[in-house]
Amino acid sequence: MWKRDEAVRPPQPASSPSPGVGPESSTTRVDLSRSSERDIVNIGKSVVIKGELSGSEDLTIEGQVEGKIELRQNVLTIGPNARIKAQVFAKTVVVQGEVHGNVTASERVEIRDSGSVDGDLSAPRVAISDGAHFRGSIDMQRQGQVAKPDMPKAGEARSTAAASPTVSVAAASGSSSAPVR
Amino acid sequence: MAGLFKWSVRKSDAAPAAAPPAVSPEPALTASKVLPRFLAVVSHQPAPVLVDLGGVVGANVSFFGDRLSCRLIVEDLVALVEAHAKRPGPGGLSAAFAKQLGTLEPESVDGILCWDLFDYLDRKTGQELAARLATLLKKGGALYGFFGTTPAELTHYTRFVVQAPDAFRHRRYPATPTRRQVLMNRDLAKMFEGLTVAESVLLKTGARETLFRKS
Repeated sequence: MWKRDEAVRPPQPASSPSPGVGPESSTTRVDLSRSSERDIVNIGKSVVIKGELSGSEDLTIEGQVEGKIELRQNVLTIGPNARIKAQVFAKTVVVQGEVHGNVTASERVEIRDSGSVDGDLSAPRVAISDGAHFRGSIDMQRQGQVAKPDMPKAGEARSTAAASPTVSVAAASGSSSAPVR
Repeated sequence: MAGLFKWSVRKSDAAPAAAPPAVSPEPALTASKVLPRFLAVVSHQPAPVLVDLGGVVGANVSFFGDRLSCRLIVEDLVALVEAHAKRPGPGGLSAAFAKQLGTLEPESVDGILCWDLFDYLDRKTGQELAARLATLLKKGGALYGFFGTTPAELTHYTRFVVQAPDAFRHRRYPATPTRRQVLMNRDLAKMFEGLTVAESVLLKTGARETLFRKS
């Protein structure tokens, strides 16, 4: 997951974005700053990701993501400044920003009053605050487990990898820099 | 000294107590005899599909999800009514409804929550919408709605917040004024051809709470 032979620098503090990562960059290198001792990673406001974002720790997104987000065992928080155009899969999803796409959670989806979702929700429990915007369907049918995302076919995977780079959020232990695939 | 002799402060000397902040009272609970029947009909279906034609209400999402484990499709036609009232679109409101509901397959829905949507529609638009809704319902499905019985200038919309299987609260928010079209029982029967009135209760508010079934 972590390719140390690549020129990856340690993550910079949130106030000073890593050099080489511009606000409109679509590179796979992401400024991931740790906010606390817990495994929570933040994606800042200026970051734009196009592709697949997957990981095994809690994630807060304040930037823009286009593609797919997959955090099956963790909590995904879409911050008030975030703009997401993606299919989202997580254990719990908290929406405070804007999402265009379907959201699937194995435990819970919560749309706060500043949140906006245009897409379908699928979760055993869904909470929508007054003032939130929502358009779509809400699937609260008990299915046991979260629906697994469609696995791409072999041919599609290769072309997807070439066209849309994948960003992984690494586990906490033993990692000090963002992985790049 | 006052403390030594435990002189009590005369009421007139006491500083006036600060007035509590004004709190708008919670709208009163409205009892429902028809909603329990709607729930009973829908709950018999495994993994039921409901369509809510009003704006999303978080409390209702939680309520129906917990009680029915359903799939709830929110198609906010009330928002279209308001948008059309402010600026009519090409093709009229019927065309907008048809486009919004176009993704739903015929006979794919177990329950439809109309709330008081039809109060804001002219007769022709109401007729067309009723026909479309009837096709969406599965056999045995149910449609739940409120129909005003007195002509009035409507200046607000109502969000129906379900508090219990047999009770809800109203929450009002501003609307572009529109004239309510009163539909008599025979008008409703004709409008919702293909559905039968399973229950109809006249509320104190003057609205008729009605349950239609598709046989």
